Amino acid sequence: MNATLPVLSVRNLKKHFPIRTGVFSRVTGHVKAVDGVSFEIFPGETFALVGESGCGKSTTGRIILRLQNATDGSVHFNQEDVYAASFQRLRLLRKEMQIVFQDPYSALNPRLTVGSAIREILQVHGLASGAEARERAEDVLIRCGLERYHADRYPHEFSGGQRQRVVIARALALDPRFIVADEPISALDVSIQSQIINLLEDLQDSFDLTYLFISHDLSVVRHVADRVGVMYLGKLVEVGDKAEFYREPLHPYSQSLLSAIPVSDPAIKKKRIILKGDVPSPANPPAGCPFHTRCPHVMEVCRTVVPELKATAEGRHVACHLVHPPA
Amino acid sequence: MGPEKLQTSSALEAGTTGAATTPRKKTSEFREVFKYLLRNRGAVIGLIIIGFFIIASLAAPLLATHSATSTSLANRLQPASGAHWLGTDELGRDLYSRMLYGGRISLNIGIISVLIGALLGVPIGAISGYYGGKLDIITQRFIDIMIAFPGILLAIVVVTVLGVGVQNVMIATGIASVPIYARLVRGSVLSIKEQSYVTAARAAGLRDGTIIFKHVLPNCLAPLIVQSTFQIATSILWAAGLGFLGLGAQAPTPEWGAILSNGRAYIRTAHHLTTFPGLAILFMVLGFNLVGDGLRDALDPKTR
Repeated sequence: MNATLPVLSVRNLKKHFPIRTGVFSRVTGHVKAVDGVSFEIFPGETFALVGESGCGKSTTGRIILRLQNATDGSVHFNQEDVYAASFQRLRLLRKEMQIVFQDPYSALNPRLTVGSAIREILQVHGLASGAEARERAEDVLIRCGLERYHADRYPHEFSGGQRQRVVIARALALDPRFIVADEPISALDVSIQSQIINLLEDLQDSFDLTYLFISHDLSVVRHVADRVGVMYLGKLVEVGDKAEFYREPLHPYSQSLLSAIPVSDPAIKKKRIILKGDVPSPANPPAGCPFHTRCPHVMEVCRTVVPELKATAEGRHVACHLVHPPA
Repeated sequence: MGPEKLQTSSALEAGTTGAATTPRKKTSEFREVFKYLLRNRGAVIGLIIIGFFIIASLAAPLLATHSATSTSLANRLQPASGAHWLGTDELGRDLYSRMLYGGRISLNIGIISVLIGALLGVPIGAISGYYGGKLDIITQRFIDIMIAFPGILLAIVVVTVLGVGVQNVMIATGIASVPIYARLVRGSVLSIKEQSYVTAARAAGLRDGTIIFKHVLPNCLAPLIVQSTFQIATSILWAAGLGFLGLGAQAPTPEWGAILSNGRAYIRTAHHLTTFPGLAILFMVLGFNLVGDGLRDALDPKTR
């Protein structure tokens, strides 16, 4: 798989939000939401970005699409620098890269029928107009498990799961190659979640899509992902193949996350790793390894030296001094 | 609420049964909205009231019993009678006829000044709120300055610059209401631009102008309509104030606010001079309010 060129290549991506205080809005610090993240996503795969809330995973998704501008770093989509693209070029790039949102209730304009919302973006890109646009909008709704007549409905007439189908249909209308799925199921009822997951997987097969799947639900990620990246305080701490990652997580943070997944068999006794304390503020991250304040295996070097995300002998990537002992 | 719920479900059923493979004939958005407006009892009453005032002012020359401006000092301050249906004013002019003609001016002032205020204020507020940053700070400080003056004072300044006259009063009251619209729309835009559907529109490559007009502003409509119906009343009263100061409609020209202001001096002896114009303004505002409320609901797919 690694022989092919990546669809998406993210290098040292950073997003720092300024903290302004006082009458003159002086910048007194930065919230380092995303702080030096690098990864690649290859055609047809699902790369899952996991982490607890506030770790910067959604921000990463948004700055990849340039919905917010990155502070530093680069994003290449099909070898093209997204941040060097002109406004016109960016519009064309966005045809290829779409986003599915977490909350399907705020993701649809309440004053537009879902059909007209989809037709609008087809028209804007000059893909279809008039009866043809109508036809294509209905087709894409049907592809996402809705009915033809749903095109004339307003968003409030749909249930949450149906709305998420509409959101997915809208993202698919432009026939993109790459979709950022930003917690696409976490706002839905559990009974609907699996339907949406299955829909995303079906669509991946039939449209040859590549996903960046952002989630905090490790059991869902285990089901959908090909590779997994774990984020903590704006940094990637571990990237690995799904099977290996779930079999043997290397980073202590990944280990504690995986130990928190409930097991369906009560007979199985699992050792829970319970982390102490809270996630440190991304405005004032700890020196050294960001995880050292809560790590059960903390060493002296962790407090001063930032571990880099490096490959292990088996080709997995992890940022931890335990795995890569400092020289 | 009850009958509206029923309507929604029947509309749903209609949608389901009409779901043929052939594209359905779509009724135009305007007809759709109007249909729902007519189902709203309040809005219908409002439409009747406004219609009454519009017909009365259009047909003023036919309906008037006397000249609106000719004086008759022998008949001054008479109460309502067969000869003078609503009585006469301090110069013996027939109040009924004056109010018919005055309605023309007052209706115009109310509607045109609101249009001016909204047409200028809404884009200012929308652009300021949508783009944010330095542009927003500069615009809003400017709006702050305008809001710091009472509206009537602002209108006085504008009339002083433009000159006295009914037309300039419309422009002045319109400009005086610009900051109100700008601030109102900016607030709504600030909350709506954070909605995911706006982000989705950007991700889909829509232009800012399209996003503002199709995705942001339609969702700001509810407070805008309510504000406009109130602003019609405020404008009429501002215009009356300007008239009172000699800056608005000039002396013999009948205008509701001016009649009301003049009548104030005789409120104890001839209350009809304040009662009738006051009631006229009240009902006109009520009419616009009812229609505005109905329009707000009819334009919102959730309530219709």
